Parts: sequence; C-alpha cells; structure tokens
Amino acid sequence: MKVSFPYMGSAIVYKKLFEFLEHEVIMPPKPSQRTMDLGVKYSPEFACIPLKMVMGTYLEAIEKGAKVLVTSGGHGPCRAGFYGDTHRNILKSLGYDDVEIIIFDAPQDNWRAFFRNVQKIRNGVPWHKVINRMYTLYRFVQKLDELEKMVQKIRPYEVNKGQTTQIWNQIQEKFDKIKTRKQLYKVYEECKQMLLNIPTREVDEKDRIKVGIVGEIYVVMESSINFGIEEILGNLGVEVERSLYLFEWINDNLVPWILRPKRFKEIIKKGQRYIKILIGGHAVETVGHIIDFKERGFDGIVHLMPFACLPELVTQSLIPKISKEVDIPILSLPIDEQTGKANMLTRIEAFVDLLRNRKRGKTKEVFIDNIQEHVQEERVVMV
Amino acid sequence: MEKKEILNSMKIAIPHSLLYYYYFPLWDTFFKELGFEVVDTGPTTKEILDKGAKAAVSDICAPIKIFTGHVIEGLKVADYVFVPRFARIKKPEYFCPKFMGLPDIIEGTVEESKGRVISPIINEKNNENISSLRVYEIVAEMFGFSHREIRLAIKRAEEVFERFKKLMYGGLSCEKALESYKTGRWEEDLEKIKKDGDVTIAVLGYVYDVYDSFISMDVIKKLEALNVNIKTFEMIPQKVAYDNLKHYRKRLFWTFSNRVLGAGLHYLKDPTVDGIIHVTAFGCGPDAIVGRFLQYESDIAGKPFTTLRVDEHTGEGHMVTRIEAFVDMLRRKKWAKVSEVLQK
Ligand code: SF4
Ligand code: SF4
Repeated sequence: MKVSFPYMGSAIVYKKLFEFLEHEVIMPPKPSQRTMDLGVKYSPEFACIPLKMVMGTYLEAIEKGAKVLVTSGGHGPCRAGFYGDTHRNILKSLGYDDVEIIIFDAPQDNWRAFFRNVQKIRNGVPWHKVINRMYTLYRFVQKLDELEKMVQKIRPYEVNKGQTTQIWNQIQEKFDKIKTRKQLYKVYEECKQMLLNIPTREVDEKDRIKVGIVGEIYVVMESSINFGIEEILGNLGVEVERSLYLFEWINDNLVPWILRPKRFKEIIKKGQRYIKILIGGHAVETVGHIIDFKERGFDGIVHLMPFACLPELVTQSLIPKISKEVDIPILSLPIDEQTGKANMLTRIEAFVDLLRNRKRGKTKEVFIDNIQEHVQEERVVMV
Repeated sequence: MEKKEILNSMKIAIPHSLLYYYYFPLWDTFFKELGFEVVDTGPTTKEILDKGAKAAVSDICAPIKIFTGHVIEGLKVADYVFVPRFARIKKPEYFCPKFMGLPDIIEGTVEESKGRVISPIINEKNNENISSLRVYEIVAEMFGFSHREIRLAIKRAEEVFERFKKLMYGGLSCEKALESYKTGRWEEDLEKIKKDGDVTIAVLGYVYDVYDSFISMDVIKKLEALNVNIKTFEMIPQKVAYDNLKHYRKRLFWTFSNRVLGAGLHYLKDPTVDGIIHVTAFGCGPDAIVGRFLQYESDIAGKPFTTLRVDEHTGEGHMVTRIEAFVDMLRRKKWAKVSEVLQK
C-alpha cells in the first residue's frame, strides 16, 4: 500500500511507523505556501486552518502517488472529529475515487471499527514483530523529543548563528535511517554529543529568558504554519519549551486513563481553575500549561491558535485575567492564511523586549493586547 | 423576614440571548416559583451589542459578543445573572465549546460578574427539558432552598415548558410562542398562524441567530411582509429531526446543529416548502459544517437554498434586496410550474 499521512511536527516518526509496518511510504512534503494555497482552494471557507493545511498536504501526497491516507479522528466536541469525513468528501468530489482515507477514531467509540483499521494497517506483519517494533518506535519518539528539548535550550546561546538548527537537521536525517533499537541508542548518544559540542555563551541565570508555547496542537507542533516560532525566539536569545511533545502526547492520549502520567492529570487540574469542564480541543490543557510554566519559573507565554478556533477562543477570553492573576505576560497569536510573517515578527520582538524589561525590573506590565488584524469585510453573503 | 420575602426583593437577570429564546419560559417559571423577581434584559440594542463587543475578544462569534452585552446589562439591573453552562442534553453529543465554557468566558471578560453569576452545569444524558434536580442543585446551595422546594419549582417549570413546546410543534415560531407565553394568550395564538402566503420558506438556524433582531435583522418579519409562510426547526420535534439523520455515518457533535440539519432534511422532503434560508452568524464554527451539509442536500433535492450570514456590521438595505430577490425567484419558479401543469 502506498501510504501517506498528515504532516505535523516530527513527521519522520509517522514515516517510521509505516516503515515498521512494511508499507511503501509516500513522505508528504513539509507544508509550504503551495500546500496552503491548495488547501484553502479546496476546503470550506470557514473551516479551521489545520483542516485546510491537511487538505493541501493530502493533495500533494496524492500527487506523489499516495493511495491510502491514514489519520486520527476524534470524538468531539470540536470540529477536528469531522476532519477525516470532510477530507474524504472533498477528495471524492475532486474525483479521487481510488484514494482511501483510514480514520482512527478513539477506540472506545467503536471498538470494531478500530480493530478493522488496525488490521488494515498492520499489513500482515506478525503480531510479535509489530509489538517489538512499536516499542522501538516509542523509544524513538522519546529520544527524538529529548534531543529537540536540548536544541531549544542551546539555540539561544550558540556562538555561531544558525549552527544549532543545522545540527538539528542533521540529527533528523540520522534518525530517519534508524532501523533497530540498538542503532537508536547508539545514534542518540552520538547526536547528544554533537549538541553538547556546540560552542555557547555563558549567560547569567538572571538574564535568561524562558518562554512556554501553548495552544492548539497543529499550530503548536507544525513549524511551517507558526513561522518557525521556536527558531525565531531562539534566535532572539530566548529558551523555549512547548506544551506538547509527541512522546508526551502518546502517553497522555494513547495509554488508558489510569496509567496516564500524573503530570497530565495535574495539568488538567490546574487548567480547571479557569475552565471548569473539558470543552474539547486543548483549551483546558492550554490554561493548565500556562499555570505550570509560571510555576516552573518561565518568564512569558506565547499562545498559538488557529483563527476563530472554538475552544481556544474560550482560552483567549480568559487570558487577560490569567495573565494578571498568575502574573505572567501572555502573547496570543491567532493564525490563518492571511497572517503575515512581518507582522508576527514585530509582535514577537516587542514581546521579548517586554519580557527583558520585566526581568530587569523596569516594568510590571503583564499583558500585551491583541492587535486586530482582520479588516472588515463585506458581511452579508448570500450564495 | 420570611425567606420568600427576602427573595422577593432579589432580582435575577436572564440575558435575552443564546438559548433564552428556547428556555425562557422554563427558567422564568422556575425562578418565579421560588420567589425571585426575574428581569429580562430585553431585545438586543445597539448599545448592548457595543458593550459586549468591547468586552469580548475580537474574533469571537457575534452571538457570544451579544450575550456578553446582555450580561453587562443584567448586572446593572439585577443582583444576579443567569449564565448556564450547557455541556449536553443528549448523549453522546455536546454543545459548541463556547457554550461549554460560557461562564468561564464571562468570568474572563466581565469583571463585575464576580460572585454574581448563577451557573448550573447542564449535563444530561437525554433530557431536552433540562429538568433534573442535579442541574439546579446549585440554586439550592446558593440560596438555601430545600431539595423539595427546588423539585416542586422544576416540576411546575417543566409543565410550562411542555406546553410551550406544543405551541411550537403546532406551528408557532419560537419567538411567537414566547410572546404567547408572556401575554398568557397561549393556545389562542395558534389560530393566528399565517397560512395564506403564496410561497413557504423554511428559515433554519439557531434560535439566537434567527430571532436576534441584530443578527438576522428580523428576517422572519421581513419575509412575512413579503407574504411568505414560515417554517422553522423548532416546529419539528426532536425525534422527527433525528429520524431524518439516520443515514449519516456519524452525527454532528452538537445537538442544536443536528436539530437544524434534521429539520432541514425534513423540509426538503416537504412538498409545501419552496425554499430554504440558512441563517448563520459570522464566525460560527459548527455552521461551517451544517451549512455545507444543508447546501449539499438541497442541491440533491433540487430546492433553492441560500445562506444569510450576517453580523454586527451588515447593512440592512443590502439584505432586504437579497431576500426580495430570493422570494421573487421562488415565485417565478412556482408560477412556471403551475403554468406548465395548466398547459398539459
Ligand atoms: S480545536 Fe480549533 S482548530 Fe481544532 S477543530 Fe476545533 S476549532 Fe478547529
Ligand atoms: S454554535 Fe456558532 S454561533 Fe453558537 S456559540 Fe458556537 S460558534 Fe458561536
């Protein structure tokens, strides 16, 4: 089967997954302007930006020969649960009748459908091999995430501009070639060394700025849509950490509730200080992570959300209040196809300035207001 | 003082927005039975809208901005405002995330609301009447009622609500049924339903879009002035609406979206309905999907379909022209059909 999948964050992990299941993998290209244009063109106008981007990715993957697209579903209450169905609809109406979309909904919603999907994906690989390789993949994700976290801590202090990013790219290429667990551990040690060898500046603890990135999963994980915000911040001398890493996401979402890490439950609990019940998407986690980052001594938060994202609008409504009560500056950035990079950059720079001044005790200001970016349009549409 | 007397001087504002249009008779009766004075914040005005829009985050949908304005208004005139948290009334569906986080949104954007909102969590497995004791326990807690008192008030409220629903199933739009409730004319009004128009249009959309004069600009009244008969989703009982959705692999996540869609499918099959107008607020997430489905199904059924997507900046004249054009088109189509039959 020529298999492909949505591109999000560390896409080599998904590639590995299907390689381990002995599929022919069609690697989707990293989302670009073209992906966006394609996605916007063929998706409903008022769909969320992740839906549009994934639509574009699918079309590009199909161009490269993909026949099966594998994705996750979701069980609401947000629109994400309908992504797969909407995509399928659109592909059909474009005449791609020979392309199959396999949607993994949460197993508890429909066990039978879930296992049917698993059987299809398993591709006849014997179970003991599947289990063994999945364990390797699990460790693969863990190690890759560990290295990425190192990257985020080293980049702001590198002596030679751009070196960390360069090495991170090399690391990903090396990881791409890994086949066995033994190789994994060996490559990991090598890569770690490569990172530790990067020459860095000594920076005093009180001059270090740390920013946590929170928000909706796609815009947080996928650098092509968030303008590579981690790199931008890193280059401005800021250490970053995201609220979401693939390894933690797997632990939080794919293992049964009772076995989930305590950390996850604590985050939810912290989030419920402001949003009392789970409302879909990542809203409660977003709030939980803001509080958690503050407690861990971070200096500021960047909140990323797709434009008009339902749950994140609830979060955004609470941001001035949280920012004040928890005493941490938060920059909320809505992202859509019209968001301009230059504008983003200016706002991020201003934000980092604010954080620096705060750290040096020059200002107590906590909250930067959102600049309204969207021009007023003709608002009656009858079609 | 007797508890009743204390409460008599206690005012609770019910914001005239969102599910007010559907549940007001229920809540009004409930609080009055307990001895509160209920204040209705009244139809949306420009002022209310502006206040709400200023307090709310800029990208949020118009109905939430409007609701926020009503809360601000309510806090001026009453001691408490009622801001229910709708999670679900039918398993396994939910409400739009903004409904689920509504009290949180209010807490974040309206400072004066602190400690002055009554926010029951509505999380019912299958109970459109939202009448279980659990929902209103918070009222008992806040004001010291016994469970028995609450239960009696709910029972009374539920009876009123059932009667109210019957009016809608009888063919009164939600707004007219509300009026019948408020004036106490009740069933009398059923006789006054307009049936003599020469075209019939199903106007579909959430009650807070269709009946908010700022969102839909009174589309129903404007249509009626053009001699059109109106059908709405409230006239279709929940069960009937859902029966129409049976062929879908997966229902939508949102109860009222399903009811709008289900009613739409019902009206598409109804030969007396000539066309469909979908009223939706700018920035509504669920409607991006509902609208697409309705459009698709109308195409298949071969019935004229149009979307009215408006918000606080819409020009009224523009809308009137569009509606007139749509109605004219339906008329022409109908006459073409009639003359075709006559010529045979
Ligand atoms: S969480 Fe936001 S981006 Fe995701 S489906 Fe919901 S509205 Fe869309
Ligand atoms: S259903 Fe639509 S209009 Fe209603 S609150 Fe949600 S997004 Fe707003």
